[in-house]
Amino acid sequence: MLLLLPQAIVDGFLIGGIYVTIAIGFSLAYGVMHIIDFAVGEWIMLGAFLGFYLNIWTQWDPFFLLPFVFIVFAVIGFVFQPVIHRVLSGKKGNPLLMGLVFTFGLGLMFRGLGLTVFGFYSHSIPSALSANSFFLESGNFFVTIPVIRFAGLVYALSITIMLHYLLKKSDFGLAVRALSQNRDAAGLMGVNAKRTSSYVYGIYVGISAMSGVLIGCIFSISAQMGGDYTVFSFFVVVLAGMGYLSGVPWAAFLLGFVQSFFLIYFNPSYTLLAVFAILYVVLLVSPKGMFAKGV
Amino acid sequence: MKHCLIAVLIFTLFTANPLLAEEARDFFKVGVITSLSGDLATGGNVTKRGYDLWANTLNAQGGIQIKDKKYTVKLFYADAQSEPSQGASAAERLATQEKVDFVLGPYSSGVTLAVAPVLEKYKIPMITGSAESPLIWKQKFFYTFGTVPPVNYTGATPIQTLAKMNPAPKTAVILGSNDAFSKATAEAFKDAAEKLGIKVLKFNIVPSGQDLTPFMSAVKVLQPDLVAFGGHDEELINLVKSLRQINYTPKALLMHYGVTEPAFIESLGKDAEQVFGASVWTTSVHAKSDMLWPDAAAYGKAAEEAFKVPADYTQAGSSTAGLAFQAALQKIEAVPPLSEANREALIKALEELEIQTFYGKLKFAKEGEYYHANVGITPLTIQIQNGKVVIVGPEKDAEAAAQYPLKPWGQR
Repeated sequence: MLLLLPQAIVDGFLIGGIYVTIAIGFSLAYGVMHIIDFAVGEWIMLGAFLGFYLNIWTQWDPFFLLPFVFIVFAVIGFVFQPVIHRVLSGKKGNPLLMGLVFTFGLGLMFRGLGLTVFGFYSHSIPSALSANSFFLESGNFFVTIPVIRFAGLVYALSITIMLHYLLKKSDFGLAVRALSQNRDAAGLMGVNAKRTSSYVYGIYVGISAMSGVLIGCIFSISAQMGGDYTVFSFFVVVLAGMGYLSGVPWAAFLLGFVQSFFLIYFNPSYTLLAVFAILYVVLLVSPKGMFAKGV
Repeated sequence: MKHCLIAVLIFTLFTANPLLAEEARDFFKVGVITSLSGDLATGGNVTKRGYDLWANTLNAQGGIQIKDKKYTVKLFYADAQSEPSQGASAAERLATQEKVDFVLGPYSSGVTLAVAPVLEKYKIPMITGSAESPLIWKQKFFYTFGTVPPVNYTGATPIQTLAKMNPAPKTAVILGSNDAFSKATAEAFKDAAEKLGIKVLKFNIVPSGQDLTPFMSAVKVLQPDLVAFGGHDEELINLVKSLRQINYTPKALLMHYGVTEPAFIESLGKDAEQVFGASVWTTSVHAKSDMLWPDAAAYGKAAEEAFKVPADYTQAGSSTAGLAFQAALQKIEAVPPLSEANREALIKALEELEIQTFYGKLKFAKEGEYYHANVGITPLTIQIQNGKVVIVGPEKDAEAAAQYPLKPWGQR
């Protein structure tokens, strides 16, 4: 069974890559706006369907459609953010709870709309990359790497690097970091909190929508798909530490490895139990996530 | 005064009982519990099509002829949201608030297992058009029937077909998703494979919706001749995509429900070709009837006109559930609203029912492990050939020879 070790490691990275794509925007939105967006899965679903229909209309490979999907959903997110801001900045009740309930309701509404508009059948987004895989062999060891999943990993790492650069090396990033640390002080230093939050929410929604297209190439899409992805983004972000962006890839890869090793070496029935157990133990030992840097 | 109060109290209790306070009407109230949202929305909506088609076709002809009058049917929908607990609540509501005469049952075995005890309590007959777990029939619910035979009745057929291939598969990896139907499917495949001398290298129940690519990478090392999977529509599509992505083509790939759905072929295109499945009905089965649709082809045509997609066995089974009630009501000549005695007579009539429908022969078992399940029809092995569902077994029903072994993904 040692022969499968390289495969288990590679599969862990590849599954982790998918989790990075769905969780990184979620973490960014929480870090800046302090909102747990339970509609993340539905943004992924809507992005997937835009990619699906664009692919039918244009016949372009879905990877070439990613920038367009990002722009469309970034604009939607930018325009939509003030509504969420209004919910979060209410004087009555607990804003965090209100945000939670609001986005949960939003997710339900999008799901219902999705069922009505897109129907209940599952679909798949065809990509030229889905058909091939790399096969590497060395002695008794071998690894199969599906090209589409490898592209997903590259995409996840690229998004992570770009976000890292944006946050650490640009004036906009400085404003975002200032906002996440102290909203009032950032405002006093001339940061336009509302505008910056809108940009951040737009980026988050755009990234989530692009991830939906990628997921449609690797798996299948349906109006009901969002729930599972919401849960896993939440897992990854909690494990990484709420709002701690740099922890997201590590948490995502950890969950990927747990699943990969359980599926290959142990009883697949207990895969999700293992994921829950890891999450539970980490939170018990370090309630602020793996790196104790969450909010 | 005291006696007067007691009398009023007794009267109030009687009139407040939802099953006794029934109004005279010229239509049957039919409760429909199915999953219109949630993870099982695809199958749930397919059953809805089946129930709708039966009701609309019947009502267009005036309704159910009882003595010298026709009674239409009116469907009262309740969304189980793919959750057994929601299904049970829906059954409670249909029984106590809508006061339905009978129920057309849920999609999925899990929801059926939750709904059946509620309807037993209220003594309301139910026929499910799509629930295949043997667990339902082992519980011996008096008021619950099913038109689709249980998977332990149907699941062995495709394995038997595959065992006759040349060379026959010698090894298999069998897995099932973690829900009542899928687990039962996987177990049926396993039992049949072992009986026919196919060595089962791996048998696993996996979490629903799990990405199985790493698991299939491990399976690839074992190089089984047959990969058989019990799961629902989306899971089947994802499994084929996983096998495609790791570039592993077993000699045969067998699945159950979902292969006959249009979405399976549409989503996978060439990769759906030659996948085997188990079914009990296609539009080409030989079945003649004098109820609503003369044969399977006529039903298929009507379904395609109404919904613009081909009908599968779930949709057909759901319409047949309506036909069963229709025939049994005509037999007992009960008019709406149905009293408790009528409903009990209806159960007896259903047990004695033996009719020919577009779906095939309908006959519910009166005892044994298939109690109240339909055992009148012949299980079929189907295969996707040229984008169509084709019967390839048993031999007497086959429309074409099975294509075996599976053509490698890269050569399609």
